[in-house]
Amino acid sequence: MSHEAHTVAVRASGVDMFFGTPDNQVVALKQASFEARRGELIMLVGPSGCGKTTLLSVIAGTLTPQAGTVEVFGQRLDDLGQEELTAFRRKNLGFVFQSFNLIPTLSVIENVMVPLLIQGRPHDEAHARALAIIEKVGLKGREEGRPNALSGGQQQRVAIARALVHEPPLLICDEPTSALDKDTGAHIMELVRDLSRSPERCVVVVTHDHRIFRFADRIAEMEDGRISRVVDDPKLLDTTHL
Amino acid sequence: MYRLALNMLFGDRAKLAMLLCGLSFSALLMAQQSSVFFGIMSWTYTPMVNIRAQVWVSDPMVEQVNDAKPLRDTDLGRVRSVDGVAWAAPLHTSFVQARMQDGNFKLITLVGIDADTFAGAPAILTQGRIEDLRLPDTVIVDEWGAALMGRMGVGPDGKPRSTPLMVGDTFEINDIQARIVGICKVKRAFTGGPFVYTTYDRAKGYTLGARRTLSFMLVEPQKGVTPAELCGRIERDTGLKAWTSDTVIWNWGERSLARNTFWWFWTNTGIPFSFGTAVLLGLFVGIAISGQTFYSFVLENLKYFAAIKAMGAGMGVIARMLFVQAFTAGLIGFGLGAGMAQAIGRAMIEKGMPPFVMYPQILWATFALVLGISFVSAIIGIIKVSRVDAASVFRG
Ligand SMILES: Nc1ncnc2c1ncn2[C@@H]1O[C@H](COP(=O)(O)OP(=O)(O)OP(=O)(O)O)[C@@H](O)[C@H]1O
Ligand SMILES: [Mg+2]
Repeated sequence: MSHEAHTVAVRASGVDMFFGTPDNQVVALKQASFEARRGELIMLVGPSGCGKTTLLSVIAGTLTPQAGTVEVFGQRLDDLGQEELTAFRRKNLGFVFQSFNLIPTLSVIENVMVPLLIQGRPHDEAHARALAIIEKVGLKGREEGRPNALSGGQQQRVAIARALVHEPPLLICDEPTSALDKDTGAHIMELVRDLSRSPERCVVVVTHDHRIFRFADRIAEMEDGRISRVVDDPKLLDTTHL
Repeated sequence: MYRLALNMLFGDRAKLAMLLCGLSFSALLMAQQSSVFFGIMSWTYTPMVNIRAQVWVSDPMVEQVNDAKPLRDTDLGRVRSVDGVAWAAPLHTSFVQARMQDGNFKLITLVGIDADTFAGAPAILTQGRIEDLRLPDTVIVDEWGAALMGRMGVGPDGKPRSTPLMVGDTFEINDIQARIVGICKVKRAFTGGPFVYTTYDRAKGYTLGARRTLSFMLVEPQKGVTPAELCGRIERDTGLKAWTSDTVIWNWGERSLARNTFWWFWTNTGIPFSFGTAVLLGLFVGIAISGQTFYSFVLENLKYFAAIKAMGAGMGVIARMLFVQAFTAGLIGFGLGAGMAQAIGRAMIEKGMPPFVMYPQILWATFALVLGISFVSAIIGIIKVSRVDAASVFRG
């Protein structure tokens, strides 16, 4: 393995993603190239509609781009069939969706157990691990309740617990702190950052929330469907549109 | 995951209630409609049930039990001499008008049975004794008929009302007195009126010089001779037609008079068609309702299945989750619906109206249909989930 293979977690290069019909086309990604390193927490920022969520979907393999390639931990996603891609996601990915997508008819802990159960873990083990992570996100005592009985911020924390519970190598978060207050947001980001601190791991966070920029190792700016700039220091960002 | 699948199903009580309502209502509709259908069809061969004998012999032209073509009295002797016949008794059946004491006329089914053997006598008498039929001018009336032909009187509230006929009451058949010496319990018939039993010889009197009165012969095979076997011999030796008396729909043989009666009504009357359409309608409505409710359940959960899929659940797992949900709902829905159908059926049987015959086969068929509906709904759900764009879960 080259040195590069040891350092790169995610690489998207020359990605085009269009939606709609040819005569009524929305360009979401245009020759977008993006790279995330192992052991880092990288943030994606940019104005609404610039393609952040689309880029995350392409990285997660839930969207197949019209052009370009995506590589996650050395695996080219376009080499995988539908079922292989699903298995790859099951093993390697954790998600925090922009709309939390918690299952309202299941209890908090059952929601958190889903990724482990999908992996085929025994029920008891899944239960114990879910309980531990629920405690970490500060929702101890709420595990038997329904997500709908929780506040928006609490629901977001359940979504984060669900994304972290199976300790996925690649964690993808779309606006993980949008509904959280400053302190809770910081606490959650610490959890997320801790997860990234391993050479087998990587975290990609889409956010508008400048209060959490300090948790980023690097920040990638997006504009009109492509990465326009990558900075190491949040102070260098043009934050006027955020 | 299957535990979670069940929890998803049971998690929303309101939706679950809707789903179970739809499924159980359609199961009820299907089971109830077909039971009533078979109940009504079973009325066509009621005489087979009420007049009990192992073998029936009729004129060769007879096609069904309500259409008696009289035999010659000498035929009785010919049948008696067939090898394997233990005994043969005459039977008269006809539809005649009976004149009630208040002057009203009622159509009755007159049944004349052999006074020596009482072959064909009703099984259950709630009042009186069968032997009293040997007394002059006597008849036995069935319970429902006794109520239908009831005596007009004045109730305690001063309003006219009718009370059922009882032992001791009289009416007239063709100006000849009929005195009730017994009340029996029998099955109601599709054609004709109440069953009025009397002796064969007296039936001749009641029908006033009808030239021939031998409608059927009731025959008992000797030990070791099966009814079907005996039928063959009788037909061969006498040229008459002989029938077995199986009335149980799923094991009646080619020779069953009940079966032939059933099919005669099936092919020659509009009854199966009109009731059959009601049954079919019940089936369609049932299928539509349960399919629709289950489908909307799937639709409402589509988003969550998509999320589970995005998180890496293969279609195999999701398919099994949907099957678990569909079959669980189907099972419970069937249980509730069949239970209700039973309860309603019991109430109907008590009232005797409309007729209700819930064969186990009807329940099995309903069960299969409900599970079939669940299966199809699950398949549709699986197709839906497999088509859903996993990326959609990322969008707001
Ligand atoms: N499935 C789709 N069909 C059609 N157009 C789409 C679809 N998904 C995204 N788009 C379009 O692609 C562009 C990029 O969308 P995307 O959701 O990636 O933006 P975003 O940067 O995540 O915005 P926000 O900050 O508001 O979440 C938008 O113009 C959007 O309307
Ligand atoms: Mg977005």
